[in-house]
Amino acid sequence: MIRQPNAILGNDRLLVTMGRKGDILGLFYPRRDHAQHVEESLACVHTGEKLLWTNDNEWHSIQNYIEDTNIVSTKLYHDSGIRISILDLVHSEVPVLIRRFKVQSQKKISGKFFYYSNFNVGETSKKNSGFCDTDARLLIQYWQNYYIGIHSLPEFTEWQIGKAMDTIWWTNSKYDMEDGKLQRNKEDIGNINNAAGWDLELEANGANEFVILIGAASSRSLLYKRMHELSKMSLEYIFEKTREYWVMWLSKKKVLKMPGLDGHENLRQELFSAYNRSLLMLDLLQDREYGSFVAAPEFDSNFEKCGGYGFCWNRDTAEIVLALKHSGYPEYCDLFFKWSIRTQLPNGSWFQRYWLNGDTAPSWGNFDYSTQIDETGSTLYAMDTYYRILEGLKKIEFLDEVWVSVLRAAEYLMKKTKSGLHESCMDLWETYYGIFTYTNAAIYAGLMGASNLAEENSESGMAKRWKKRAEFIKKATIDRLWLQEGYFAKGIINEKLDKTIDASILSAYIPFGMLSPKDPIEKDMILFMIENIMKKLSVPINKSYGIKRYENDSYIDGNPWVVTTLWLSEAMLALALDIPSGKAIFSPMHDVSYEKEKSNIENVEDLTNEGIKCLKWALAGATSTGLLPEQVDKSTGKPAWAIPLGWSGSLMIDNILLLDKICVRKAADAEKS
Amino acid sequence: MVKDLFMFAGFNENSQIVWFKIIYSKKPGSLSLITDLLEKENAFIMFGHLDNITQKTGEYLIYTELDENINPDDLAQKIKSIEVVSEVDYGISKYGMIYSVDFPLNVIGVRGVMARALTIVDIIKTLNQSVPHAEGLLTVSGLKGGIHAAKYFKSIMPINDSNYASVLAELYRAVGWGILEIECDPKTYEGKIIVKDSFIADVYGSADQPVCAFMSGYFAGYLTDYFGKNISVREVSCKVTGKKVCEHVISLAPSSVSQEYQLRGIHSDQAT
Repeated sequence: MIRQPNAILGNDRLLVTMGRKGDILGLFYPRRDHAQHVEESLACVHTGEKLLWTNDNEWHSIQNYIEDTNIVSTKLYHDSGIRISILDLVHSEVPVLIRRFKVQSQKKISGKFFYYSNFNVGETSKKNSGFCDTDARLLIQYWQNYYIGIHSLPEFTEWQIGKAMDTIWWTNSKYDMEDGKLQRNKEDIGNINNAAGWDLELEANGANEFVILIGAASSRSLLYKRMHELSKMSLEYIFEKTREYWVMWLSKKKVLKMPGLDGHENLRQELFSAYNRSLLMLDLLQDREYGSFVAAPEFDSNFEKCGGYGFCWNRDTAEIVLALKHSGYPEYCDLFFKWSIRTQLPNGSWFQRYWLNGDTAPSWGNFDYSTQIDETGSTLYAMDTYYRILEGLKKIEFLDEVWVSVLRAAEYLMKKTKSGLHESCMDLWETYYGIFTYTNAAIYAGLMGASNLAEENSESGMAKRWKKRAEFIKKATIDRLWLQEGYFAKGIINEKLDKTIDASILSAYIPFGMLSPKDPIEKDMILFMIENIMKKLSVPINKSYGIKRYENDSYIDGNPWVVTTLWLSEAMLALALDIPSGKAIFSPMHDVSYEKEKSNIENVEDLTNEGIKCLKWALAGATSTGLLPEQVDKSTGKPAWAIPLGWSGSLMIDNILLLDKICVRKAADAEKS
Repeated sequence: MVKDLFMFAGFNENSQIVWFKIIYSKKPGSLSLITDLLEKENAFIMFGHLDNITQKTGEYLIYTELDENINPDDLAQKIKSIEVVSEVDYGISKYGMIYSVDFPLNVIGVRGVMARALTIVDIIKTLNQSVPHAEGLLTVSGLKGGIHAAKYFKSIMPINDSNYASVLAELYRAVGWGILEIECDPKTYEGKIIVKDSFIADVYGSADQPVCAFMSGYFAGYLTDYFGKNISVREVSCKVTGKKVCEHVISLAPSSVSQEYQLRGIHSDQAT
């Protein structure tokens, strides 16, 4: 069953995904991609008359993060007058989720509070084993060396371990709660579930608190020790330590100033929050040991409706680590490039996607014709971009470390681009085979980056050769794919020019810099692309517009994407930064021979304002907790599909940093004048 | 159970199936006025029922077969012009397949649908072939339906030891699931249910193992809710294995689960 999270939290070994009503959807330990141990895990209240599941429709919820932390607050309101406040945090040092439930009721209740879990420990429902240690008051389920345990304060008074899906249905913990008391079975095997119970005696307007610890460990004894130690600490102490951890982590960020922003009420604060949230989110997607990132926490592990997202793509991660570097966190680049060196294929390219430990992931890109060459280009481009901002000894060390990898990757790209445009492969959307503007731009950037690194490494022969090829690719791309209509074709598919407009053509400017606004003709090409994308790919929703990937996109209903919308805004903002303010932006004369229609964008301010519109649109499509999704539902305006998507977060950071620069420049100009 | 539903086998291109819902005032001779008119207009009444809406008004629901040349709208107007008639609604079953005046259908208090037995059996087969713990999943799915049925019946009529079994049997017959013979001792909670013409077993084909876990779950849910005790129902013989009927054994679920692994597949009294 596909269920999208509304919040995520975790530490270096635990990643938890959570629904909007505080139900646990995923518990990933010890890696972000494996193993996912939870099918269901949530609280229920037995009122004395009936059982209320907290994820039922009868509950209304408000969920958000405690500011500048990955601590989640969820408030649930039931029509009957019951209110539950949940505070969720993952301890900063050990893989334990701590959940505090405060139950209040307007009416007197004499019932039970239950905590129900259906664990699939080891990411399997088979051959699990569960038991309740009534002395230690621990419910534990294990498979091989994965142990997941539940402990509570106060200690639970009743429990059940039963069959989750069996003909002996009366042992099923889910049903066992219905009558308001648990059978206290102590152990079982197979596909099992469990429940813990407490008396719930509430006077009218009274409250009760239950703290539940869900821990993970590689052995029974370690789990016991962790739970025992934690149970001695006060929740207030743990909360404070965890809050402090995240606040400290966030304090390393590049500080935004964002002066001005006249006429955009509250936007400054919203952008500060989005910046912080994106940083905090990205940290949770990274594997601390290997340096790789999941594109998004997995939510379709059976690949029922897509190919899954809980893997590392070089394309996404290259953008993520650079965004983190630009915002003050260089260590993510270091680790990712080490990982990249290790995972590079023998032919010098990178695979479609990987498990976080570097093993190749399930793929539909196993052949030369189905590989995605742009990922190799992106990785080289990111290596060079990182190198350029390093200083001193670090610069030398890094170049020495990556040089062989750069050489192999660049030669791979040379082999694939002998005739200028790349050989046929799969596109970045992993849907089409052919030759693509995006892929050519990525290869251009990769070879230009490699050329710079070669130059720096005193290999001027190589530098020259790679640069010459990059320029040849650029010329071929413009000659063969630029259209009179004022944009690049998507590519060549089945040997025919595909004139579909695809938002990824913006990559020719952002991020790959194949077109430069310093050249008047190229600047106009960028502007025409921007205008055509706005005109043809805008989807009106949430009082503004988002950008869909390409015309006739049918993936998940052809929704607008945050990534494509933020590409557009990034192109606008970058262009605004490249052009002196107050100037008309189209060149008075250019030799691109087509009619220019009436434009909404006449000057730098227009560019900035349109960019801000896109940013606001992306923020409006976020979850209540501020997480950016992959898409926004074109009918409801709600976040859709992968949540949160790391790539969306990294682009939000890039955009905010650009806007910050624009605001600072504007303020400086104002001061001068 | 399934109100205002009629099925017409066959198809006659020279006629049309039209239903009329007629609200009339209940006076002596009112219905005769309506049926006389229909006869005069050559409307062949295939099926009809009366509903007493209030003491003064009634609802007469009829399905008719009309010659293709008769305009149902004209006929409805004529019916409306009868003094005792206050409202007329009508609908046409163009292909004479299945028609319901009320939409959606209502089955024991909630929305119902009609389906071919094979439609449901195809789902069951797919689960059996492809999904781990399919038997458990079907049991649990049936359990929910049985619990709902018992709760619904308790809410609309007195259910007791003398009628709980016959109510269940009537339900099964009405929805076409099978003919039940239920023997169960309300003191020991032991007994058996024979299902003749089980819709699952009838169309499933042959199999090595019983396939009516969904029904076992349904019986378990119904009896559990009625008795207020966890009741185990297990299909011990099934028509798909070559038996004449399906047999489900009823017993009180064990209070301790420690024996469950041993109990699996055999009746509890055989295990002890």
